[in-house]
Amino acid sequence: MPELTLDRITRHFKNKIAVDNVSLTLREGIYGFLGANGAGKTTLLRMICGVMKPSTGEIRCNGIEIGRLDGDYRYLLGYLPQDFGYYPDFTARRYLEYLAACKAVPKDLAREKVQEMLALTGLGGDQHCKIRTFSGGMLRRLGIAQALLNDPEILILDEPTAGLDPRERIRFRNIISSLSKGRIIILSTHIVSDVEFIADKILLMKQGRIIQQGTVSEVTGSITGRVWEYLAKPEEAIRLNDIFAVSNLKNEGETVRLRLVSDTCPCEGAVPADPGLEDVYLYHFEEVSEHVDNLEG
Amino acid sequence: MILPRKQTSHVRHEPAPLPPDNRHPCGFPTEWKFPLDESKKVQSLTAIRLEAARKQIRHYPTFREQLWNQLRFRSWKHWLLQGFLLLAAMLLAVTLRRQQADSIQTLAACSVFLVFAGNICLGHVAGLFSWHMAELEQTLYLNLKQMVCIRMLEAGIADFAILSLLLILTGGKNPGDTLAALTYMLVPFLWSDTLYLHMLVHLRNTSSGFRSFALGLVCGTLALFPLAWDSAYQPEYLIIWQISAAAGLLMCIAQICRLLGSIENGDNICLN
Repeated sequence: MPELTLDRITRHFKNKIAVDNVSLTLREGIYGFLGANGAGKTTLLRMICGVMKPSTGEIRCNGIEIGRLDGDYRYLLGYLPQDFGYYPDFTARRYLEYLAACKAVPKDLAREKVQEMLALTGLGGDQHCKIRTFSGGMLRRLGIAQALLNDPEILILDEPTAGLDPRERIRFRNIISSLSKGRIIILSTHIVSDVEFIADKILLMKQGRIIQQGTVSEVTGSITGRVWEYLAKPEEAIRLNDIFAVSNLKNEGETVRLRLVSDTCPCEGAVPADPGLEDVYLYHFEEVSEHVDNLEG
Repeated sequence: MILPRKQTSHVRHEPAPLPPDNRHPCGFPTEWKFPLDESKKVQSLTAIRLEAARKQIRHYPTFREQLWNQLRFRSWKHWLLQGFLLLAAMLLAVTLRRQQADSIQTLAACSVFLVFAGNICLGHVAGLFSWHMAELEQTLYLNLKQMVCIRMLEAGIADFAILSLLLILTGGKNPGDTLAALTYMLVPFLWSDTLYLHMLVHLRNTSSGFRSFALGLVCGTLALFPLAWDSAYQPEYLIIWQISAAAGLLMCIAQICRLLGSIENGDNICLN
């Protein structure tokens, strides 16, 4: 069973720090990295995969620096990049066979594994189609299939559900959940529901740092007393929406039920509510979204 | 204290013959065994089987296997292009011979051909950085750096074959002439490859086809300059050609090292 240790990892790009002094120990289980765009998730995953070298710090697998392990480390890896690549002239089957060969899967086993992965991801019927004809969802499924080909002990998935419809998303979650035994699975996403039900540990990343980590209940527990529900009139709802972080807004007849995230009681009549992971996300990343909005504006 | 090793006899001791009732002379039955607990045996065997099934047996492919794995997934278009290049090289050489073209024309035509052939062969190396595959390939057991080395080797072999063919069919009668012809042809070829690799590292986002075409056009035109300057291939200028070839070789090696270094460091070239 591998154990990954990230020891004071920092990565800069010119004068910008993408990942800032991150230290972690990852053992068997599913780890969900949550963070806004630009939080440094992808850079961190690239470093864990060995695609990119940290500016300072060290990543070790079972106590040995991954650069020294070289091929032995990559043997354990399954990776789905955010921007998944493929050779468009290949058929799905040929593509998986090619990657199985590059992953040093023995030829006989590769044939079996390719068939198994095609069936698992529901691409069995399209195995002889050229990849260039695939839809976004099919490409993502192909990406998941290739990541699992070598039965990896360390599985790293960057935004794995981007482009998947809700049914495919649930299917994907179930696949990942069923694979978690004996593996380290790292999921990076900004879609809270992707990790809420399956992750053993949630790690919140902001501006290159891990600002919080723990189980879902630990993370949500950290903002107990900061989530409120309030029934407001429509014009009041608009006003509150401008002032506070609103995690949900539902019309109920003449009134609007608001779910607000605030350190203090937002208004008279608001009642405390049980926090969820989305509330936690909003609590930590509201200002980032505002920042992004301002930049885009 | 070191104890003296017990002397072992090489004489084989045959077991004493058993009495007819299979009993040891002491009176114990000789075939007696502890009774087996069948359920425990089944349990133990099941546990062993499970453990064996869980155990992953690693397969470390040899270099030959990896090379073959890379070659067997090349498309038929790739092989067709390679075959076409060799055929074109042969046709060019035969045509030049039949027309009894002078040495300047022959050398210039071969140089231009070699520049284009080099670009096409390097295009297969550049293909690894297309289609957003580089980042994924970098995480595979046979990683991007190794794939680049294999494709470079492949490109080198193809170029060498074409160069040899051109030299055999068009080269002079004595080795000195052949060596000089080799130098003249190598200069534009090496510098074109150097520029190609430089552009690959620094202008990665440029379309691969455009890069090849533009560079081929520029370097091919430059390779034609001896046609405009008759004395370019004169023996007194050979030393300049030799220096240019050596410099081109060094620059080409430097560019290859730079490319491999960029991959190793995880620079932009291998990120999607």
